[in-house]
Amino acid sequence: MKSKLRKKVTGGLALSLVLLALSGCGGNSANNNNQASESPSPSSSAAATEAPSGEAKISGDFEIQYFVGGYGDAWWKEMIGEFKAMYPDLNIKESAGSQINEQMKPRWIQGDPPDVVYIDGAGSNETQMVQDDQLMDITDWVKDAQNVDGENLVSNLIAPPQDYNGKNYTIPLVFGSWGTFYDAKLFEDKGWTVPTDWDSFLATSEKIKAEGINPYIHTGKYPYYIVGGLLNSGFVSENGDNAQILKDQEAAKENSFNNDAVRKTLEKVVEMRDKGLIDNASFGMNHTDSQMLFLQHKDAMIPNGLWLENEMSKDTPEGFKFGFIPSVMQNAGGKYVAIPYTSNIAIAKKAKNPEAAKAFIEFIFTKKAAVRWAELTGALMNVKADLETSSASDVVKTAMNYFNGSDTIVAPVFKLNADLEQAQNDATIALLQGTITADEWIDRMEKAAAKVRG
Amino acid sequence: MNELSINRPRRRIVSKTIVRFFLLLWSAVVLYPVIWTFLTSLKDNQMVMLGKPWDLPSALRFENYSNVWNRAHFGDYFFNSLIVTVGSIALSMALAATTAYILARFRFKGRGLLYFAYIASMMIPTTLGLIPLFFLLSDLQLDNTLTGLVLVYSVGTIGILPFAIFFLIGFYQSLPKELEEAATIDGCTDYGIFFRIMLPLSKPGLITVGIMNTLTVWNEYIMATVLTNNPEKYTVPVGIAIMQAEMQYRTEWGPLFAGLAISMLPVILMYMIYQRQITGGLTAGALKG
Amino acid sequence: MAAMTKKLRPASSWRRKLFMASFLLPTFVLFSVFTIYPLLRGLYLSFFDWSGGSETMSFIGMDNYKELFTDPIIPTAIANDYFLIFWKVILILLFAVFFAVALTRLKLKEYGFYRVVFFLPNIISVVVIGVLWSFIYNPSLGFLNAFLSLFTDTPVTTNWLGSAGSAIWSLLPPSVWAGIGFYMLLIIASILAIPSSLYEAASIDGAGEWKQFTTITMPLIWEQFKTSVIHITITTLNGSFIIVKLMTEGGPDNQTQVLGYYLYQMGFKQFHMSYGATIGVLILILSLLTTLILQRILHRETIEM
Repeated sequence: MKSKLRKKVTGGLALSLVLLALSGCGGNSANNNNQASESPSPSSSAAATEAPSGEAKISGDFEIQYFVGGYGDAWWKEMIGEFKAMYPDLNIKESAGSQINEQMKPRWIQGDPPDVVYIDGAGSNETQMVQDDQLMDITDWVKDAQNVDGENLVSNLIAPPQDYNGKNYTIPLVFGSWGTFYDAKLFEDKGWTVPTDWDSFLATSEKIKAEGINPYIHTGKYPYYIVGGLLNSGFVSENGDNAQILKDQEAAKENSFNNDAVRKTLEKVVEMRDKGLIDNASFGMNHTDSQMLFLQHKDAMIPNGLWLENEMSKDTPEGFKFGFIPSVMQNAGGKYVAIPYTSNIAIAKKAKNPEAAKAFIEFIFTKKAAVRWAELTGALMNVKADLETSSASDVVKTAMNYFNGSDTIVAPVFKLNADLEQAQNDATIALLQGTITADEWIDRMEKAAAKVRG
Repeated sequence: MNELSINRPRRRIVSKTIVRFFLLLWSAVVLYPVIWTFLTSLKDNQMVMLGKPWDLPSALRFENYSNVWNRAHFGDYFFNSLIVTVGSIALSMALAATTAYILARFRFKGRGLLYFAYIASMMIPTTLGLIPLFFLLSDLQLDNTLTGLVLVYSVGTIGILPFAIFFLIGFYQSLPKELEEAATIDGCTDYGIFFRIMLPLSKPGLITVGIMNTLTVWNEYIMATVLTNNPEKYTVPVGIAIMQAEMQYRTEWGPLFAGLAISMLPVILMYMIYQRQITGGLTAGALKG
Repeated sequence: MAAMTKKLRPASSWRRKLFMASFLLPTFVLFSVFTIYPLLRGLYLSFFDWSGGSETMSFIGMDNYKELFTDPIIPTAIANDYFLIFWKVILILLFAVFFAVALTRLKLKEYGFYRVVFFLPNIISVVVIGVLWSFIYNPSLGFLNAFLSLFTDTPVTTNWLGSAGSAIWSLLPPSVWAGIGFYMLLIIASILAIPSSLYEAASIDGAGEWKQFTTITMPLIWEQFKTSVIHITITTLNGSFIIVKLMTEGGPDNQTQVLGYYLYQMGFKQFHMSYGATIGVLILILSLLTTLILQRILHRETIEM
């Protein structure tokens, strides 16, 4: 009980700090004061003793593995370039690309991994890497780690390092949230109300449908979009706004899927399905296709992540406006629920140059780097920074407004086991197709969870 | 070829017309995608996304090709693919032709077992051998080399060797045995018979198998993705797979299809040039007459 | 086989034995290293619990094989595999034989054109085929629904790849489309090998085209026909995973799941590499069994010409 409360509080606190930073009025000073009061003593001593000796040690070969996807590689190139300028003796090797997870896999198995790995993209799974004992236990180091600007690394983070039974192996580098996107321009033109809860979502959807437009489309080929953008927020809302249910599901606990919160959420999904609010085209459709239909005003709402606007920037028609709401599943008067996601960075357990790896992490977790990230990718890095003047997308800024408000609960970051995720994807699609009932969905998930528990 | 007796000319013309209709219909069904690929390779994103795939491009964007060739390094990939394909076809054909000849024309202990082993190996799922092959190559210090890829393609679990053996056995069996008897009388050694008589006679078969296997190797990408992680050693299919994976985040249909067109061109050309030999090779039995 | 063996030359002298060894051994050695050894390694893996990522693995005996029998997705995948085999064999060979007979028996001027064109799909990369057919099936932008809508009052919005009933059927056209050319060439070849005197004699006896087809063509191309059936079966069991990966990833809810893709999904996406290897062994066993059974069913006395 205590831990979940703390998580919620820290999560909310962290986000409000970001927003303060974003809005750029008073937030900065508060933030700085915070640091000023916290950091001087360790930083002065550590910086004095460690930095020079550390610098001497940072040399030799150093390899970074990073997945190149929606965020591109511009930020990485820039950071690595600057890092190299700081440590000219370092011979940096970049193993990067969209297929890098598959390509590096055999080297991890052989015990010849890179030093630093950014875990993202197809074929990567952090939980599995921890289970496979591939990542370095950084619990003790990360506690007092400082970035190159002498700030405490962890207290700068929006989402804290992922917790594995009291141990840390990874630090979140990218931060974002799932939610429901709506066609803001179309909503304005037609005078539709933006949903604030489940009832208004249904009412608006019926209106949209009456106009001959599909209210809701999702990425049926990859059901985790609708799970992240719709179902998970429902679980939390129906659980009395208590996000512990998601952590229980992550841990594959018994009855974490067989409970009233899940059942009520699924009943809402079934209601949506039976009222014909979901575009039949969703099934079997990949994200690019479903997002294109949304951009072409053929569908009014879509569950997605904060990367959407940036991902589709090249194909967004003139005048299109993205609208964002964290969740639609809450009952009347209930709070919004934001389901966050992160992509994390880690040091390999068998890193050959762990000193350089740590130095690199200290180098990139700065506010300056976070601003550059926002500018180069349009998304959020997991560091509280003043993004007011940055080119982070409007949607990201809108989202932050929600997160900062007292009406929004931010769930802790969680990630299901790969088997559970697959089972959830399959069951959810079957439920949407109407080939199984809500009870069968629950039954399947409980069985899958039991199997994971072993 | 056989002359057909034309005793019912009118019915023949009618049935010919009906058959022609089906043949033309199928030609359209087959040609359309190829033309579509080339059309799309000249379009920009907006054009592709209109959802009217049969439209002509409004402006021809030939820069899609130069972009892919230079910026996306398809020039290098193309060269790698060429080396790997030529190498693996040459090696696998040499290995398959010799083995197939012995299996087809000689009786010896274990012949059935050997034949079975080769044929059964066609049924090994490619992905099953993936990880073991990686370890094997790195043990032999051949990982990340084109040589390693050539070996895996020629004799690994992708099945081009058994296919060639299987096909060529049928071919050698169809050759009349009098050939060998006559050659022996003429004083040819076993090697002489094979290299001077059998090999030249099996040229159509070799070309057919060679082309079928060239298609397999030229388009193979799973092995190539896992066995090479150095961009200098990428083949064309790996390049395409990477472009396609990046399409999840950055839609660039034109360049992707330019890449596909680049990968299709050489095989289409080769097929046009050798199409007679391919059917010729398959017509091995005709030699009997 | 027995008839064939009689014709074969024996390995009599040591000189001949040396010759045969020099032709057989290089192939066999390389084959053993690069095919048999990886196969055995895969087999070995199936007795362990290994995620595919860790440096260590633990021995679990037959547990992976027991899992095959309790995993509800395995029967679905097997059923889908044989569904695809059944329809692919029927449709591909129906088309291939029809085209082959049409091209060889009706002396068309444009014979060469068709022969080149019909083989084109075999040349095209499977990636193109996947992208292309996904475009065709797209429920709102696609070619198929646009075409069908021409004949109906209301626009057709069938979700071909996404509906429980149609998803697996929708995988057939691309596979058949891509498969016909190769088998057509094989059958053309064996038809051309039939002595024309047989047809002439039949014509003189007054036999029509259909009669000639059933009494001369079919019996004489039977060996090739049988080989084609077996070849389609093997390549489907082993290779259908690529088209599934490109078009549906086994979805929705495993309705298009096949063993080959399930192997890939388990090994590389759900991190059960050793269970994936076990599925690979299952595929191998099924291929062998199916081939043996087909050999039996399709066996006919070879007709000596």
